[in-house]
Amino acid sequence: MLKLIGAALVLFAGTMIGFVQAARFAERPRQIRQLIHALQRLETEIGYGQTPLPDALRRMSLVLPPPLSGMFADIAGELRSERSSTVNESWERVLGEKWGATSMRAGEKEAMLRLGASLGGSGRDDQLKHVRLAVLQLQDEEAAAREEQQRYEKLSRSLGVLGAALVVILML
Amino acid sequence: MPLQFEWLPHTLRRLLAKLPPAVADELEEIRIRENRPLEVGYGGRFAFVAADGTLSADHGPGYRPSREDCRALLEKLTDHSLYAVEEELRRGFVTVAGGHRVGLAGRTVLEGGAVRHLRDVTGFNVRIARARTGCSAKLLPELLDVAARTVRHTLLISAPQQGKTTMLRDLARAVSAGEWNHPSARNWSGRKVGVVDERSEIAACERGVPSFDLGPRTDVLDACPKAEGMMMLIRSMSPEVLVVDEIGRAEDAEALREALHAGVRVLATAHASGLADVFRRPVLAELAREGMFGAYAVLSRSGGRVAHRVYGPEEAEEEARRTARRPWSAPRDAPAPAQPPEAGREPALRPRPLPLIRSPDRPGESGGADHA
Repeated sequence: MLKLIGAALVLFAGTMIGFVQAARFAERPRQIRQLIHALQRLETEIGYGQTPLPDALRRMSLVLPPPLSGMFADIAGELRSERSSTVNESWERVLGEKWGATSMRAGEKEAMLRLGASLGGSGRDDQLKHVRLAVLQLQDEEAAAREEQQRYEKLSRSLGVLGAALVVILML
Repeated sequence: MPLQFEWLPHTLRRLLAKLPPAVADELEEIRIRENRPLEVGYGGRFAFVAADGTLSADHGPGYRPSREDCRALLEKLTDHSLYAVEEELRRGFVTVAGGHRVGLAGRTVLEGGAVRHLRDVTGFNVRIARARTGCSAKLLPELLDVAARTVRHTLLISAPQQGKTTMLRDLARAVSAGEWNHPSARNWSGRKVGVVDERSEIAACERGVPSFDLGPRTDVLDACPKAEGMMMLIRSMSPEVLVVDEIGRAEDAEALREALHAGVRVLATAHASGLADVFRRPVLAELAREGMFGAYAVLSRSGGRVAHRVYGPEEAEEEARRTARRPWSAPRDAPAPAQPPEAGREPALRPRPLPLIRSPDRPGESGGADHA
């Protein structure tokens, strides 16, 4: 009896691990896509509205779902705070802290960090170039992420179930 | 109202917060130069600020802002958005919250011979703007046009840093609020005032709302070129009195004439050390000769007080002729002028009066020439 309950638990846990993995694979391209949309919004804010960067970042955070929204709201808040540092410093710090909560990987982080290093520090045309470059890089990452999703999403789901089944069989 | 300095980076703000309150109250300029001592101008004097906030006339112990200080300052001044102030950078200044104007010096980047951009900004001059509500109370009654129940076309004249903009701001407020301060104007109401605030100094708008009190009936066109702004206001906002800062270009004159014919009264300022200078600046002289201005108010400051003197158009011309020095009008090879300069004209040959500069440890002693 006890064995059966244990087997059921193992099976359940294995399945869940598989599903969580699959969800990460599915989540990554979606978050990259959201980030691209947000950056395109930033592009409009800089290019057309000439909105100050903290306001632009705050508006970006409003159109994003969590956990991405929190990141930009934090940077905006830090820039407007009492002891504000430079854009680059806040950007690096917040991204370093919060990147782990997202499903995105190092490639996207790299592109965003590169954008943060130049954001706010030059004229409009140059800023637009940097934002567009970041968008392009993110699009590449997105394509790769989609491919991975197609290949590994179902695989990891079934792998979770089957792996759990294997453990159960060995146990029995 | 104590100064907040929230537009300064942390290190500089902490340093300036240590200034003695008497100095902070009179602060006029903060001059920040990379790797050179931090300087403040207050009450007509200047001094260097040491790292512990004490002042001295000696620049040795002055705090020297580092490269990081300057970079953080520029970021903070532009609200982390250089791209939003490109036009201002080209003109060499930005205006921060509170209407304080920050002049910038650095290395210019040229394109086709014109200044396109300013980079390596290492010199900052913060000019502290102050609202002195009621400072125009004595001047305004002298500018009234009693028959038309409004103000005359007025040109406010003074050298830099003598309180033109502060005076203009309060004039706008008083006209808009109807504080005419004159017995025959007791039952006049306020006038619709339109302000073209090219440098965001008069109103110091934040998101379009003036942060200085400009009266209840004032519309502000923020950061708009004067000539175009005047036309826009006349066409769209039906002002009765137009307020503009620092006129002097040909297109300004054109817009002023337009305003005149639209029945709008104009209050304007111009940089000049005296009336003679006004009649020597081509655009202003032309306007003056056309009888554009109904009054000229010359401001001068001694100590903390701003004194004014109002001239009518004829008086002004007379005065300008009397004080005119014409260094170029007599060519060196030409026969000597019929009239040698008499003793009575001597004072006009004095050098241009310098603003009062006193060293902080010798208060009361005046180092510059007195103001005529």
